Amino acid sequence: MAEQISLQKKARGERPQYFADPAIDKTLAITLALAGEVAVLRDRIDTIERLAEAGAAPTRAAVDAYKPDAKVRAERDAWRDNYLDTVLRIIHQEREELEKRAADTKPYVAVIEEVLAND
Amino acid sequence: MTATQDLTTQFRHGVLPQTTSDEFSRQEFVKSLKFHLASKVSLGNHDAYEARAKPAFTKATGAAPETYADIRRAMSEDPYFNFWSAMQRNSQEMMWKSVQIPVERQLPDLIAAAGGAATAAGTLRLNPELEIPKYHRGVDIHCMPGGYHTEFTADDVANGAVYDTAVYIYAMGRMGPLNSDIGDTTIAWIKENHPDFKPRRILDMGCTVGHSTLSYCDAWPEAEVFGIDVGAPVLRYAHARAESMGKTVHFSQQNAEATDFEDGYFDLIVSHILIHETSNAAMRKIMNECNRLLTPGGLVVHAETPPYRDLPAYDAFMLDWDTRNNNEPYWGASHELVPADLAAETGFDPAKAFEAYQPSAFEATERRTKVFQGGDFGGGGAWWLWGVQK
Repeated sequence: MAEQISLQKKARGERPQYFADPAIDKTLAITLALAGEVAVLRDRIDTIERLAEAGAAPTRAAVDAYKPDAKVRAERDAWRDNYLDTVLRIIHQEREELEKRAADTKPYVAVIEEVLAND
Repeated sequence: MTATQDLTTQFRHGVLPQTTSDEFSRQEFVKSLKFHLASKVSLGNHDAYEARAKPAFTKATGAAPETYADIRRAMSEDPYFNFWSAMQRNSQEMMWKSVQIPVERQLPDLIAAAGGAATAAGTLRLNPELEIPKYHRGVDIHCMPGGYHTEFTADDVANGAVYDTAVYIYAMGRMGPLNSDIGDTTIAWIKENHPDFKPRRILDMGCTVGHSTLSYCDAWPEAEVFGIDVGAPVLRYAHARAESMGKTVHFSQQNAEATDFEDGYFDLIVSHILIHETSNAAMRKIMNECNRLLTPGGLVVHAETPPYRDLPAYDAFMLDWDTRNNNEPYWGASHELVPADLAAETGFDPAKAFEAYQPSAFEATERRTKVFQGGDFGGGGAWWLWGVQK
């Protein structure tokens, strides 16, 4: 095998810091990457099950070469969206709370306009 | 265009990187994460703004936020906004990583495939002496490690392959199997507004891997199509991709600010999301160069996202996210450009300047969020076109 050529890992330019402690920025990056790797593993299990159901041997080569069709991709998209609802629960909780508070700041006339609107 | 049966996957041309099932799943996760953030998380920023950032700003300053810059100040400390920003930034970085993995694994094969591609009538002219403009050397635009121009090995095509795959993920497939939506949309506008226009020669400035360029081959089959870019790796890849799809394009490594084409060589000059990756000085030089290169009656059309003046202040604030969070230093200022003023400054007749919205040519409404927001520039369902007729 030819020697692997390494691509550049970081984009040039100062990376924004989003939290007071830079360790939180790193921890979030690692957590999201792990969430991604769990989804990769889940797809791999799904591939093994589908190969087995189709009567094919779920060998490493067969799993690596598996190309999900449009139907399987759509099912996996739907799974990942639910999965992210679960993983990002704390964000969705906060959003629900903010939505309620934002609704309370709305002037009453805006509510009248909304119920009269046709769209 | 080339037959594409499946509109939900990227078209497999001759140099598209292959993926193992794990590599593909990792890319699909990034696409899902981006879509989840855009459709379910980002919208909470507006609630955070209404519920706490706006009242706090109003209390502190005695007036409600008016401009997008006011809203940015109001939101700068908001914990929901900052957490979303951090996740959005990560989704961008994870996207590049997910694409680099398969490209690194098969780079020698990709280089060999690109080198063996030259068969049809298209050409590739590289210039190793070309000075890469400062606005591409300063930071790596939209966080792509190495930008369009860095070469990691001889005859490198890595960042062409990286860019091609990542654009499909970034756009969540909403630019079509060929990532050609911006070109197709620009062509639709030209044909609707200039039905008798028959360009002999067309120049695509900042063409990268030719996502939009190839559409012009089909739109005007009689015309000669040229593409220029400052990056050698993207051009090598563009040439191989075009050849594998049977499209004849003449690619050359040039800076759009000063090209080596003759005066009046082109009837149509286009660019697709190029202007926001230049600078105030460069984009004026580009317009001057367009003036020199166009034949009388010729058209220059640039495609971008809407100027902030056309958006509600909150939407402009969200669209401006990329300026500070996605290595797009000229994004914000480029969204303040006024076509007629620029036409006048660069020797065109300002009365012949135009700006227009053209609905996206690719029908993918189910994945559109219908709002322009940070990190989701394809979501609005329309492109802003501006330019001038000479």
